[in-house]
Amino acid sequence: MASKGGKQSRSASGLSGRKGAGDQEEEDQPLQAVLVADSFNRRFFPVTKDQPRALLPLGNVAMIDYTLEFLTSTGVQETFVFCCWMASKIKAHLQKSKWCRPSSPNTVHIITSDLYRSLGDVLRDVDAKSLVRSDFVLVYGDVVSNIDISQALQEHRHRRKMDKNISVMTMIFKESSPGHRSRCEEDDVIVAVDSKSQQILHYQKTQGLKKLQFPMNIFHSGSDEFEIRHDLLDSHISICSPQVAELFTDNFDYQTRDDFVRGLLVNEEILGNQIHVHVTKDGYGVRVSNLLMYDSVSSDLVRRWVYPLTPEANFTDQEGHSCTYSRHNVYRASGVSLGHGSQMEENVLIGCDTSIGANCYISNSVIGDNCIIGDNVVLDHAYIWNHVHIASNVEIIQSVICDKAEVKQGVTLKKQCVLAYDVVIGPNISLPEGTVVSMHHPEEEEEDDDEFLSDDAEVGQRSDKTKQKVFNPAEVGAEGKGYIWKASSLDDTEEEELSQCLWGLVLNPDPESDSEDSETDGPDDPVIPSPEMDDVKVFHMEVLGTLQRGLEENISCDNLVLEINSLKYAYNISLKEVMQILTRVVLEYPFQQQHLTPSQYVALLLPLLKKWAPVFKNYVKRAQDHLDCLSAFEEHFLEQESHWAAMVKVLMNMYELEILEEEMILRWFSQGATGDKSRQLRKNQGLQKFIQWLEEAEESSEEDGE
Amino acid sequence: MELQAVLMAAGGGSRMTDLTYNTPKAMLPVGNKPLMWYPLNLLEKVGFEEVIVITTKEVQKMMSTDLKIKDVKMKLDVVSIQEDGDMGTADALRHIQPKIKTDILVLSCDLITDVALHEVVDLFRAHNATMAMLMSKAHEFTETVPGQKGKKKTAEQRDFVGVDQSGKRLLFMANEADLEDGLSIRKSIMRKHPRMLIKTGLVDAHLYCLKKAVVDFLTENKSISSIRGELVPYLVRKQFSKTVNSQKLKDDTDDQTQEKNDGPANHELLISSRDEPLLQLAQERSCWNDHRGDMSEAYHGGKLRCYVHIMDQGLCCRVNTLAAYIEVNRLAPKLFEEPSVHPSADISERCQMGSDSIIGALCHIADKTSIKRSTIGNSTTVKEKVKVTNSIIMHGVTIEEGCNIQGSVICSNAVIGRGADLKYCLVGNGQHIEPEAERTNEIIVGTDQLMEI
Repeated sequence: MASKGGKQSRSASGLSGRKGAGDQEEEDQPLQAVLVADSFNRRFFPVTKDQPRALLPLGNVAMIDYTLEFLTSTGVQETFVFCCWMASKIKAHLQKSKWCRPSSPNTVHIITSDLYRSLGDVLRDVDAKSLVRSDFVLVYGDVVSNIDISQALQEHRHRRKMDKNISVMTMIFKESSPGHRSRCEEDDVIVAVDSKSQQILHYQKTQGLKKLQFPMNIFHSGSDEFEIRHDLLDSHISICSPQVAELFTDNFDYQTRDDFVRGLLVNEEILGNQIHVHVTKDGYGVRVSNLLMYDSVSSDLVRRWVYPLTPEANFTDQEGHSCTYSRHNVYRASGVSLGHGSQMEENVLIGCDTSIGANCYISNSVIGDNCIIGDNVVLDHAYIWNHVHIASNVEIIQSVICDKAEVKQGVTLKKQCVLAYDVVIGPNISLPEGTVVSMHHPEEEEEDDDEFLSDDAEVGQRSDKTKQKVFNPAEVGAEGKGYIWKASSLDDTEEEELSQCLWGLVLNPDPESDSEDSETDGPDDPVIPSPEMDDVKVFHMEVLGTLQRGLEENISCDNLVLEINSLKYAYNISLKEVMQILTRVVLEYPFQQQHLTPSQYVALLLPLLKKWAPVFKNYVKRAQDHLDCLSAFEEHFLEQESHWAAMVKVLMNMYELEILEEEMILRWFSQGATGDKSRQLRKNQGLQKFIQWLEEAEESSEEDGE
Repeated sequence: MELQAVLMAAGGGSRMTDLTYNTPKAMLPVGNKPLMWYPLNLLEKVGFEEVIVITTKEVQKMMSTDLKIKDVKMKLDVVSIQEDGDMGTADALRHIQPKIKTDILVLSCDLITDVALHEVVDLFRAHNATMAMLMSKAHEFTETVPGQKGKKKTAEQRDFVGVDQSGKRLLFMANEADLEDGLSIRKSIMRKHPRMLIKTGLVDAHLYCLKKAVVDFLTENKSISSIRGELVPYLVRKQFSKTVNSQKLKDDTDDQTQEKNDGPANHELLISSRDEPLLQLAQERSCWNDHRGDMSEAYHGGKLRCYVHIMDQGLCCRVNTLAAYIEVNRLAPKLFEEPSVHPSADISERCQMGSDSIIGALCHIADKTSIKRSTIGNSTTVKEKVKVTNSIIMHGVTIEEGCNIQGSVICSNAVIGRGADLKYCLVGNGQHIEPEAERTNEIIVGTDQLMEI
């Protein structure tokens, strides 16, 4: 009753408002709406394998009925319902409903096609069939709303008249702060608008982002005040100009509304199309896009937030669906029997002819028609659809149980369980959190839907399937029927797993926790000008970088030399320094790993030396070069006293690779000592042995020469 | 004493060198009062009794002789700093740190405003803020500016100021020049303040209320040299950084030990306004909250809070360009109801004078002159048949017979020759304009002054 009253007053005010605008031509046209009764995704699988999403009951009424009621009450006179998945079911439902009665103020046309794969396909079809004549309302079949859009419509028409059809779309948002229960985490958006014109300048989904970036060009619009809003909930209701359908035709790659919005914003300067927002403070408008949203919308409905769409209003005008409303938001339809000692605590809706046993405790739940519930049952946030049997001693928390499912004795369903159609569970089993049980085997799905599957594969799978067709009593109970669906079996890639999960993302209860933990404080500190790094240091770093990259990408030594040469010129480094730095860099290279024993160090260094020997040879040519190289070598080992044991091996290796000549090594050994420490270094036993060996070798070679 | 006032009057006026060549910015006459008189008057009106004035030696000397400044009843504690030293405003604050005993109100000498100062201070008090500042909608300059051809270029870089829904809490501050890669905001800030207004086209009045702790912080952190350029953006950013907020617990437990080891290690901590225990208790017990929409405590537990009061009405102008100077000369006199003609001025009765003109002390205005919408400084002589419209004439100027001066600024001690015709000109200090000269849209300054630029 209330809804009708509201409807009249609204359409009246809407009409007068439009008259005020004086848009005679537009006004003559009846307001049209495009209702997309398909989600084009599989979020509600496996539930939607048996019933399309638009027909799933929410508060014991199919979701599409809420959408149609919203459209009708807002003054829409002609609605095109586009169906794809299970179109016949939707059609049958609508034909039975009040919308197809001759008395309905809203004429409903049902258009079905199996070819629709996205919203884009639907709108392209709208354009092809030229169904819309003026501005229309675009809405999904799973939107529950009581928003009065007449004001938004008026604003939209006004803008279109002023700006010569520049504004093509007005998106309707509901104000709702972050963390609100009815906010869908996946729909979390950040919107930058021009404060005066309410034009959208930037639109971005924020899921998983830590920093929000706004390109500067959006601030060049000449306005001096912008708003960045994170307190908006997308109601998925938009007012579109007829151009929207044309734009979808022109841009065949637009699949979703997000594609469209992004595309328009990017091309705003070229095409000049603008999108505006209308923000409503009161009113309710939410899309049931996952089960978590289903949960919160159901409880909002029972708590009368969607007034005048309340359970007792029976706006669908079905017989036997009327129910009584008593305090604590308890609704009972006719024929409900309640056993002795059973309590309906609060926010409970019970459908007709349902019987509930003794000593039950029910709160925040919706129970459908013709259900039978045993004794000592505890239901909290349970959504039980029609013809469900629940035996005694069952506990169900935040779960959905579809039509004709059966829960046997002593079963416990933990949070976020789903029992799809005709499933039997129990007895005496406890399902862990997030269990999804369906009569459809998870692998069946791929068979049905994957058109690209070859015949062979199908045969193989079929044999597979027959093997697995046995219900697993450990999973569903001794008498149970059904297969467990795992979230991961729905899709292959890990990224999609999140967004495909049936329940959706859990709202983050603590808004602080997600982003701030990992934030470092670094950039906040006052910038203390760092002393200018001197060129030699920079060069050192660059050489190190070059060699690292060379190793990773396997760059040839010639190219490395080329790069080092160009760096030499860039930083104005003398050849001597190049040599020394190069030697140091290579010798220090293994120290990137911590705590090396000398033997480990050698093991790491030798292959590097071998690899880069040509680089050395390119630089180490004259006698002086050798000495420079050796002095860098010495310097390095003076710093790394603990690695003296490795010194000889390295030197030996360099000698063997013909980087260093024996004569020069000997000269370095005899003359180079400059301090106590370097003298000490030369007393190293291994080194002395090596030198001795070298001297002998020289002698012998001299002898040979003679 | 709740707040100590600090007036920054050492600025050289680098954006209007033509005017400030001989007169320091703080002493430029506006409506025949030195510029720094206006902020002093603002402070006096709201009941300040003492002001610390940071200025140069030169200004200090001039102040001691200026009659208007002598009229100021507040006790002026003048601190002079080196003139050509590269001292920023934050450096100056650091310099006077020993004098600072309480929270401070810092303002610049070039601010002319009729703001209700309590608005800013109330924000500071009510939220126990670390900083509260004043901003205003940018003023559109309407007057023609000498030497400036065509419309003023709007290519100037804009400041982006982000405030919350109430328009008071300062959340974000950046200059367009630093935002080449686009504006970036942390999501956690958006979660706390889901509706952020980004405003451009605001001018910062350079009036800040700062906690004493901030001054102490400055003495620890020597790298910050300017209040506007470094300190304020730093404070704004720091509001949302984790360390300041999480320091709270530690704060409470080892409050005493901390006093002792207030070393440089935790100097960051100093700037977070530590709520007094009683205040904290009050906050815990009350159901008041600064925000709505989520269930977290007031201010989301943040200890460092910056607020801004944005004036949308009234005059708020910073005299730092020639255009602003001209504009403010037109507007400022309207703020004060004073006789427009000084009693000691000698004005011929046969002179047409608009009520919107101001004549300074000891002026001589001869017969058959016409003065409209102009300001004429002290000891200026205007001879017969002179027409002055829309102009600013400073002190000790001599205007010979038959001159026509329109839309011009004539600095002190200039002499305008007989029959000269000046339109939209700026005549520098002590310049002589030859008789019968006709000048339009020119800046006439001495050659030595030119060299400097």
